[in-house]
Amino acid sequence: MALSLTVNGDRVASTADPAAPLVDILREELHLTGAKPVCREGFCGACMVLIDGKPTPSCLTPAALADGCEIQTVEGLATPGQLNRIQAALDASDAVQCGMCFPGMVVSLTHLLTASPDATREDIRAALTGNICRCTGYERIIDATLLALATK
Amino acid sequence: MSDVSATMDLRRRDAADKLRGRTRYTVDRYLPGMLHAAVLRASVPSGRIVRLDTSRAARMPGVRAIVTAADAPGMMGIGIADHPLFARDVIRYDGEPLAAIAAGTLAQAQAALAAIDVEIESLPAVLTMADALVPDAPLVHPNWRDYEVLFEGGAREGNIAWEATVVRGDVDAAFARPDVEIVESSFRVGRQNHVAFEPRAVVASYEDGRFHIETSTQVPWGIRNATARVLGVPASQVRVTVPPVGGGFGLKFDLAIEPFAALLARASGRPVRLVNSREEEMLTCLFRENAEIRIRSAVTREGEIVGREAVVLMDCGAYGGEQIFLTTMTAHTLGGNYKLGSVRLVSRAVYTNTAPNGAFRCCNGVYNTFALERHTDEIAARIGMDPLLFRRRNVLGDKDLGATGQVFEADVLRAMLDRMDTLRDAVVPPPARTDGRLYGRATTVGTWFVFVGPSAATVNMNADGTATLVTSGVEIGSGSMVQSLPQIVASTLGIAPESVTVRAADTDAAGYDVGVGGGRTTVSLGAASLSAAQDVRTKLLKVASEMIEAAPEDLVMRHGRIEIAGAPGSGRTIAEVATCAQAKSGPVSGTGAFTGTGVPAMPGCVAGHFIDAIDIPVFAVHDCEVAVDPETGHVEVLNYRVVQDVGRALNPRAIHGQIQGGVVQGLGYALHEEVTIGSNGRVCQSGFETYRVPLALDVVPVEISLYEGAPSMGPLGTKGAGEVPILNVGAAVACAVANATGKRIQELPLTPPRVLELLLDRKRDLTLPHIAETWSDNLVRPHKTPRGNA
Amino acid sequence: MIPGSPMQRVPAAAHNAASSIHVAHSLANALDALSEWGSAGAVFAGGTWIMRSPIRHEPLREHYVAIGRIAELGAVRIGTDVVEIGPVVTHAALAAALADLPEFNVLAAAAGRSANPAIRAMATIGGNLATPGFAAADCVPALLCLDAEIEVAGREGRERMKLEHFLQIRSTLAPGRLVTQIVVPRSERKTAHARLPLRKAGDYPVAIVSFSVSVDAAGRVQAARIAVGSVEPVARRWERLEAALIGRQLDAEGAARTATELAEEFVGRDGVDAPAWYRVSVLPSLVRRAAAAALGA
Repeated sequence: MALSLTVNGDRVASTADPAAPLVDILREELHLTGAKPVCREGFCGACMVLIDGKPTPSCLTPAALADGCEIQTVEGLATPGQLNRIQAALDASDAVQCGMCFPGMVVSLTHLLTASPDATREDIRAALTGNICRCTGYERIIDATLLALATK
Repeated sequence: MSDVSATMDLRRRDAADKLRGRTRYTVDRYLPGMLHAAVLRASVPSGRIVRLDTSRAARMPGVRAIVTAADAPGMMGIGIADHPLFARDVIRYDGEPLAAIAAGTLAQAQAALAAIDVEIESLPAVLTMADALVPDAPLVHPNWRDYEVLFEGGAREGNIAWEATVVRGDVDAAFARPDVEIVESSFRVGRQNHVAFEPRAVVASYEDGRFHIETSTQVPWGIRNATARVLGVPASQVRVTVPPVGGGFGLKFDLAIEPFAALLARASGRPVRLVNSREEEMLTCLFRENAEIRIRSAVTREGEIVGREAVVLMDCGAYGGEQIFLTTMTAHTLGGNYKLGSVRLVSRAVYTNTAPNGAFRCCNGVYNTFALERHTDEIAARIGMDPLLFRRRNVLGDKDLGATGQVFEADVLRAMLDRMDTLRDAVVPPPARTDGRLYGRATTVGTWFVFVGPSAATVNMNADGTATLVTSGVEIGSGSMVQSLPQIVASTLGIAPESVTVRAADTDAAGYDVGVGGGRTTVSLGAASLSAAQDVRTKLLKVASEMIEAAPEDLVMRHGRIEIAGAPGSGRTIAEVATCAQAKSGPVSGTGAFTGTGVPAMPGCVAGHFIDAIDIPVFAVHDCEVAVDPETGHVEVLNYRVVQDVGRALNPRAIHGQIQGGVVQGLGYALHEEVTIGSNGRVCQSGFETYRVPLALDVVPVEISLYEGAPSMGPLGTKGAGEVPILNVGAAVACAVANATGKRIQELPLTPPRVLELLLDRKRDLTLPHIAETWSDNLVRPHKTPRGNA
Repeated sequence: MIPGSPMQRVPAAAHNAASSIHVAHSLANALDALSEWGSAGAVFAGGTWIMRSPIRHEPLREHYVAIGRIAELGAVRIGTDVVEIGPVVTHAALAAALADLPEFNVLAAAAGRSANPAIRAMATIGGNLATPGFAAADCVPALLCLDAEIEVAGREGRERMKLEHFLQIRSTLAPGRLVTQIVVPRSERKTAHARLPLRKAGDYPVAIVSFSVSVDAAGRVQAARIAVGSVEPVARRWERLEAALIGRQLDAEGAARTATELAEEFVGRDGVDAPAWYRVSVLPSLVRRAAAAALGA
């Protein structure tokens, strides 16, 4: 049975196994390799996507439950050729190192900017509990988020 | 030359795509017709392969190729060629590769693995260094004598893969002095997993009789040469290219899974992708090694260290690998920091039936610094001296001798300690704390170095005024390839750093390079790049001098122009000059090369060392304050300060980012990241649930001061800055926790259970009975007789 | 040394190619599907446990019935006597729904601080209760201390049982049956949830004390329910401690002292994350923290 997903505004069909993790469909079928399957158990956040607007680890989402949903991946968060508010702030803050965690960070933080416009430093830390970064030690990511929150 | 500071705090050119998810790491590569591979791994720590039959697997759906030990005849290693690609007859660790399969899909490859018929006879295993050092212990390599020696000088015997010794001065006499206190301390640390977010991954193809390996590595030339070695083919038949690397930290400083994919590509005639699962990464990681350390010092009541001896046991796992080289480092880490009247050190890489260990940011340095600094605090306590005063008295200064007799230059550490005092004293002391927790603070020092060695660079000057930098350097995240190198080239040529294209590593395009690690990117690749750019500059100035009719020495290159000094707007654009040069005598390019100069050690001091003295020392002073919960053992780091010797900071903002990140990795090592090995020889922490890296709530902003001006042979006075930030985090946290609790901290990580165990006095003092009481009894052969005066 | 978990030779990435997932839109439809598949079928709620089967080297089941979109199972109904919680209510939704009810502090904290934000928005309360392999579930002790009852339904009908009983039978629940409601009585009580992760947050707690007491006007304990999670394989009430507190003036230090005397009744579980003794050792301080938080509420 073919599944029907809406990914970054495009309607796509997939014949994947219903229990296949969404992250594998995005990467292997659609070649949207932004989401990274780093831990495959919901701890690291590197495969985060927005499903119907909600940040969701795509490693824990089976294809069957993504069927019919609006999925936004990191590739679809900004106008082509541009950066969205959090991407621009992370770039300006020189926050990026190896970059593997950033697709997930960007998805989580893009959501945070609208869901918690008054977030404090501690709120941002708590919000990132499920987004692990091995390179940066987080502080610059938090600084950039505060910068983005202050930039309307 | 233009002022490099004009390009300071250059942003990363790779950030925007990384933030948009567009960057294609090796794990993201996809080639038409690509097959997917998987590796069959042993599930016993020690055994003999009775039967390995792949005939049933070969008939499974989708299978295109199967390779086994018969396909990889060579042996690899550092110092000793002790490591086959696949287990041959003998299995030496749980997780050791037995066969690899390529199939149409990953699921098919995995299903076929399960159809390989394997029969293994279990053999006795040695899982700990204590087990391995028991007389008559089973040997991990019974035929150790037969191995090819790649580097002469290390003593070896049985389960001792390599032994390196340092002897300077008369240590026995120092210990026999009537006016000294003898202080002895023992330490033990566990392994640390890099948890690079991109696992080890490779896409290989075989075309025109050559292998093309696209891989996530820090060492493209190392992969080229080692792959050729295990496959038994000429190295020139292997081309390695490297996409952006999703985290290295030393994990990718060694050959990993590349040869499996290469063999399968050749056998199938199709491109093959192989990516380690997270579990494979966790269980077969080339960890930072576990180590056991006994250190003993003879110190006068006035605080002079007249003698020091130490035994350092480093678990190399089933194969020698990086630890053989790293035995060298004890001389410069445990033997660093302080002036020593006399010293003898032995580092022993010990074989065990566990997954091989490898390199990890400040290899060997983090635990030896932990041991040394805790020992230093124990000395200070014994003689009743303030630990900071003791350090100030004893840190290496100008003209002081290091452990191997090298002469250090300049008073760096003492000035850095002063800088730290200023930082710390500027903070208003907090009000009295009444939450029942135990508070403590500590300041520690550390000695590290830049791992110099050969690098090559070419700069092509394009007629449009841009330049292309071609090296074998890899961007692993530290930013050196996208920040400091283009900054160096751009400042030499007077163009914008954005006008310098940086070619991704390709062993077919650029000359040999040791690899990206050891803090050497900005130094070694930077020096080669600087020299190549200067070559281009000289050529351009010569052409310009004819065009402008001015002497080359009167010309400056800046803002994209070659001008007469003091006359802005005069002269020509660099594009015009490059175009003219190209028309007259062909395109302009320059080449550069670099390696270390080889600072001398004292003759006769070292045996079995790969590096006798360090070309570019790097010093660090860390200070932290902790609060310890006496009921749960939780340690909270309240604040953290770093004064780091950077030589010269080309991009201070990027260095600050490295320091914050390195300190946090160190906090993981100090507090959270624990690796245990079960009685079955398997690493217990198989994923992110059980291996705990620091999260956003667990970190503090590090207060940073960059110490500039210490001597360095690096280009423009630079030193490597990305590796060293992790160096003394374990030390600083451990000393602070010891000060907070009054307990003797002898082990890392300080997980809540381990701290509570100490607080409840449930834990006995650490003893290391497998380290012999008399130092020389720990050696498989006596240190060579000194040829010179000590 | 702690024994490692069994590892197949095969890397963990593979998923079972044969699994089907039926997305049910009504309870009746879910029950029909479960009944049809019998022992080959299983309930799929948030998926945060089941989707990690490959990591644990457990095969997926042949058939799943996804119940997350069944509206009637996804509501929190706050009545005057009870609060009824649908099994597919997520941790995040539950924490939000209970935010203004101090008597439910324990449950709001359990649901609102477990795991990490994205997982809390996926993982369901029913899944938390129905996963026998998950010893560190936050909501199990929280609901134990609130005296929750569990409604289980199959095609043949519904039954209600105490959570304690459900925990005993959950691993042998007959095929075709699922949790349809969690019912929690309302009362005047002070509650708090003390959990101890090894980092500040983001990992499973190595020990949990869920605490609920009713005190009279003089501050004496009239009723107490205290549950301990993650210390043993299955969460349970600490009845001796409850009994010891009855009739006493509630003070956090005193409760912790009593807990110290009684803690030896627990036989901790050894895990890769923490040894058995540690889980038991920290219980008195968790009791103190929970009691203090409850008193402050």
